[in-house]
Amino acid sequence: MSLLDIKNLTLEIDSQSGWIKALDKINLVINEGQIHALVGESGSGKSIIVKAIVGAISDRWRITADRMTWRGQDLLKMSVRERRKIIRSDISVIFQNPKSSLDPIVTLGDQLKEVILATRLEKGMFWNRAKARKKYASELLHRVGIKDHEVYMRSLPHQIPNDVCQKFMIAMALASQPKLVIADDPTRGMEITDKSQILKLLSRVNKVRKLSILFVSHDLLAISSMADHMTVLYCGQTVESGRMSQLRKRALHPYTKALLESAPSFRTDLAPKSPLSSLGGTIPSFQHLPIGCRLGPRCPRARRECVKVPEVRRIHEHTYSCHFPLHRDQK
Amino acid sequence: MLKIILRHVSLLILTLFILSFFSFSLAYLFPGDPLVNLTGIRDSSEQGYAILAKQYAMQGSFLSQYWEYVNHLFSGNWGLSFSSGLPLAEEISRSLAASVELSAYALIVSFVVGLPLGFLAGLRHHKLTDFALLTTSVIGYSIPVFWAALIAILIFSIQLGWFPLSGRISLLYDVPYQTGFILIDILLSDLPDKEFAFKDALRHLVLPSVSIAIVTCTIVMRITRRSVVEVMSSEYIQAAYARGLSPRQVFLRHGVKNALIPILPLLVMQFTTLLTNAMIVETIFSWPGIGNGLIQAIYQRDFPAIRAGMLAVSALVLTFTITIDMVIQIFDPAGRRPENATS
Repeated sequence: MSLLDIKNLTLEIDSQSGWIKALDKINLVINEGQIHALVGESGSGKSIIVKAIVGAISDRWRITADRMTWRGQDLLKMSVRERRKIIRSDISVIFQNPKSSLDPIVTLGDQLKEVILATRLEKGMFWNRAKARKKYASELLHRVGIKDHEVYMRSLPHQIPNDVCQKFMIAMALASQPKLVIADDPTRGMEITDKSQILKLLSRVNKVRKLSILFVSHDLLAISSMADHMTVLYCGQTVESGRMSQLRKRALHPYTKALLESAPSFRTDLAPKSPLSSLGGTIPSFQHLPIGCRLGPRCPRARRECVKVPEVRRIHEHTYSCHFPLHRDQK
Repeated sequence: MLKIILRHVSLLILTLFILSFFSFSLAYLFPGDPLVNLTGIRDSSEQGYAILAKQYAMQGSFLSQYWEYVNHLFSGNWGLSFSSGLPLAEEISRSLAASVELSAYALIVSFVVGLPLGFLAGLRHHKLTDFALLTTSVIGYSIPVFWAALIAILIFSIQLGWFPLSGRISLLYDVPYQTGFILIDILLSDLPDKEFAFKDALRHLVLPSVSIAIVTCTIVMRITRRSVVEVMSSEYIQAAYARGLSPRQVFLRHGVKNALIPILPLLVMQFTTLLTNAMIVETIFSWPGIGNGLIQAIYQRDFPAIRAGMLAVSALVLTFTITIDMVIQIFDPAGRRPENATS
């Protein structure tokens, strides 16, 4: 059974010019033990999806979905409290900016201990609790590769390097022994060595613990080395989704193709000094969204039909939404 | 830490030095002959004038006179008041204590009322409660202090007769002077009717402190609200929610402290505004404080009193501001330290 199943998630934001569809009929399915990548340019609504899943929602947002279930339980229908309970025990989030996602005036150790559930600790009388909690916390830290746990647990977020902060975030995410970890661009702005460490850590956790990971990023290189499945997002619309290998071999949506081509490391046939390909224009702002397929104005294959939103089509596990997918030509 | 202390102390000394220089030159800036201004003796003979000039070290240069002045300041000899003939050092320390007492109670009142309201408004951001509180605060902020005080007197002491009209304590009680804070003095004293004296002093305090507190209370509320709104929309609060903590846990463990730390200095700094307002309200309530004293001194052309009073008030405000700033910089856990000991 799939862990998280989202169908036609639409999220509207209240703005001065009326309600804007920041997410337009998003589909996302995450199965157990899977690393699922969510890819898109900045501004394509990746972080908003994450917020919608964990329920960190502003009052000015309106969420509708045909289906949004967590292991068969409807997330949208349940009460805030029930939802929080699920999130506390089953879903964890690793945020983009570790430093600003940690409380600046509470020591890291206290923040880590705060997320450890009492049920995850060994049974003991209440005077043993604090000790058990501390032991559990330091074990967690060892697991994510922090050796001087004593020092770091006493520190405040601004006193320690960025990658250690991110490791702390991962430790906090793992503390509740969740089923799903949502990593929202966890390596943003990091040095390459720290980055590969964190990525390795995540994929190890995935293998050892059968933990599902929703990996949100625009770092294609990192994604292709880790993820089994990929969902490509453009401007709040799911463009294409499917197995990583399949998508890389034969992308059906023009945007996916452009995205993959924009990363030189995927192109074996690229001659030296040849110009890199990219789509013209930039991602539209949420105030000026095009109607129909939102890629329309930038799409090299756009025709008149593209002012209507394309239906989701499916070939086995591979879904895409485009009126004129790439495989049509190749027939 | 040593660096912070050094920086602030040097700033304090430098500013106090400039202040003392300014207060010294006041004698020359007042209209008329400086010696006449300082002594109050108008038509002295030439001989008498010479003696006075010698007493006041007027024959030396401007700088040597200043040096003399500073020496006297430090030895506690601040001159005599014209109107009462008493040494100014004592008179000012008494009235300053009365002013500080009044402002301190007003500050407490505005904290007790303003902080919770600010938190409430911040948590209910852009909701009815928030707007209602904001509207009230605008009204409170716009009312002139002296007008509010007069209206309060009209309603509560003249029409309703709940509180006394003016003064610090009823004339029936003779509280011996010890600390200058009347409530503490009453508690320390061995009056036979301590309890009544205390109650009476409290009743005298209510109207002036409340009318000063109105403005400060709205300021406290607005600052708190702004900070709470900012903190609650910050990323780490969102992250804490996403970790599945309940709103209460998030607010108590992460919200309150983070909201308070940046604003505490701002709030404590309100003390100086408060003191200024207190000086105005004192004249209305005939509170024997420094504001009242200064106004009387101005009416009576009591130049030494004006000079010393201004120096005392500004030195107090300065020392207070700089000390608070220093303490906060030392204890800020997030290490937000501005480079200079300014602000």
